[in-house]
Amino acid sequence: MGAELLIPNRSQADDSRRLTGTLAASRAAEKTPAGSWAAETRRYLRVFLTFARNSLIRDMTFRADFLFHCISSVAWTLMNVGFYLLVFRFTMMIGPDTGWGRDEFFLFLATVWFINSLVQAFFIPNANEFSELIRTGGLDFALLKPIDTQFLISFRRVEWSSLSNFAVGLLIAGISLHGLATRAESPVYLTPLTLSLYLFFVGCGVAIMYSLMISLAATSVWLGRNQSLYDFWFYITNFSRYPMEIYNTPWGRPLLGLFTFVIPVLVVVNVPARILARPLNPRADWEWQLAVWAVIATGLCLIASRWVFRQSLKSYRSASS
Amino acid sequence: MPIIEVRELTKSYRVYRKREGLRASMRGLFRREYTEVEAVRGINLRVEAGEFVAFLGPNGAGKTTTLKLLSGVINPSGGTATVMGFVPWERRNEYRRRFALVMGQKNQLWWDLPAQESYRLHQQIYGIPEDHFRRTLDELTDLLEVTPLLGQPVRELSLGERMKMELIAALLHSPEVLFLDEPTIGLDVIAQHTIQRFLRQYQERRQTTILLTSHYMKDVAALCQRVVIVAGGLVQYDGSLAGIVDQFSGKKIVTLQFAAGNRPEDLARLGTILETQWPRVKIGIARAEVPRVLATTLRDYAIEDVSVEDPPLEDVIADLFHQVS
Repeated sequence: MGAELLIPNRSQADDSRRLTGTLAASRAAEKTPAGSWAAETRRYLRVFLTFARNSLIRDMTFRADFLFHCISSVAWTLMNVGFYLLVFRFTMMIGPDTGWGRDEFFLFLATVWFINSLVQAFFIPNANEFSELIRTGGLDFALLKPIDTQFLISFRRVEWSSLSNFAVGLLIAGISLHGLATRAESPVYLTPLTLSLYLFFVGCGVAIMYSLMISLAATSVWLGRNQSLYDFWFYITNFSRYPMEIYNTPWGRPLLGLFTFVIPVLVVVNVPARILARPLNPRADWEWQLAVWAVIATGLCLIASRWVFRQSLKSYRSASS
Repeated sequence: MPIIEVRELTKSYRVYRKREGLRASMRGLFRREYTEVEAVRGINLRVEAGEFVAFLGPNGAGKTTTLKLLSGVINPSGGTATVMGFVPWERRNEYRRRFALVMGQKNQLWWDLPAQESYRLHQQIYGIPEDHFRRTLDELTDLLEVTPLLGQPVRELSLGERMKMELIAALLHSPEVLFLDEPTIGLDVIAQHTIQRFLRQYQERRQTTILLTSHYMKDVAALCQRVVIVAGGLVQYDGSLAGIVDQFSGKKIVTLQFAAGNRPEDLARLGTILETQWPRVKIGIARAEVPRVLATTLRDYAIEDVSVEDPPLEDVIADLFHQVS
């Protein structure tokens, strides 16, 4: 680094012109409609993979914290397993004629852990950070980037340690499926169709949970601060983690309606879990209707969350410089 | 065709006026009083491509708000603005690919990761071709002398090093317009100097249009041909740095050195005495009066040396800020 750099020499000037040229060409290429959709998808995918990779690098930097988080969340899940095993020493089924015996119910629980661990790994840290970015004005930088802001905010961080519960879920699901398939009376087998439907509805469940969390985080724009995010997550997961039949009492029905149709957290786990565990054999008509509603609810939730997100950006004030 | 055109741009905020004390806070739960704060009250500005313009103004003058409006981070309350033909707050990707905003008080790099990981991410987000990315990164790290720091977690860097890394992040996609909000705030003299030198070289090489806000006169004097003074949400001055003194200071500073043993008592009649260090006396004199006062002085006193200067720029600007606020 020296004084000669003060005067741009010819080759450097040419160089920067050439650089500007290639960039202009690549910008022009992005604007052409043919193949732009595929190119955009690739770009978004690459950005997501880089986010995931950077998060992993970060997690590995703080490996003790990473391990501790894995251990504590797996321990919590195993405590739950123990608790429900105890419960099933006193009863054969959750409610009469519901079909939720031990294996079915543990498949339900595995679904809870799949969905919760996915939401906790991919979206809870981001939703939480989003509300922090609004409060501190850090959202400025996200708004400057030439990429969909909701995408950027929703996928910035992956909390890999939360996926440890996913592994526990796999284990429990495996044991339960084995139990269901090998029992003497009306065994339930896993078919490619039920598995695909299951995965699809797990995806829907994650999408519904995501929509709720990101909408709630976006309200920080109007509220100034919003620290109830984790509380809210705790409440709604508490409602969604049991078979919906338990609400089938006179005073439980309003709750059933509220959490099925207004804040549709009950369909999140119930729909995929019923498809796989098949508590009612043959399946009842209302189960299919519920599945159709789950698809509609997913679409509505995603649209609503997009709308809330955009409104919040319009009202964003950016904190002091 | 100017690259930045701003007409009657305004931005006001509604702020909750909280009164002191618990009782007032309780009342505030039910009825809130709000006041409108006009951060920007009608800014007009035209900037041609390749200009390096400084925004000066006291804290709260509306400089940062203006930059945020031009970056599309916030929506205006009124007025229009176009940058490279785009309306900033529409936040179109075509626009966002072509400019950058650097804020000295905020950081966008991943705190726990080395800066190069954040740069990779920028490459993906902006879709920068690999060869272009490599060359730009090499050039920038070389100019800012930070190549060995690329692999260090950002949280372990000094403030000056971090600011350089932030600048690189903002320049990787070769923006045509660059907004710099106090890029040298809190930095030591050496780091300030490096960043000034870098910005000058970079601007000369690339002819990037730059808008800079800074509280350091040295930044402005070293970099900008044009100065826009913003105070009270309005443009108070738009011109050269030297022009500020001509326009806003009606006086000159005359330094008189008296011959040995001469200590006249009646100097106050000449003008405002600013400093007395016998045998030297500094007197502030209205500009129009300077020839007459000098003639009188030379006639009445034994003088060894005389100099006539403009008042220091900082003082003129401080006076101006004071008047406006």
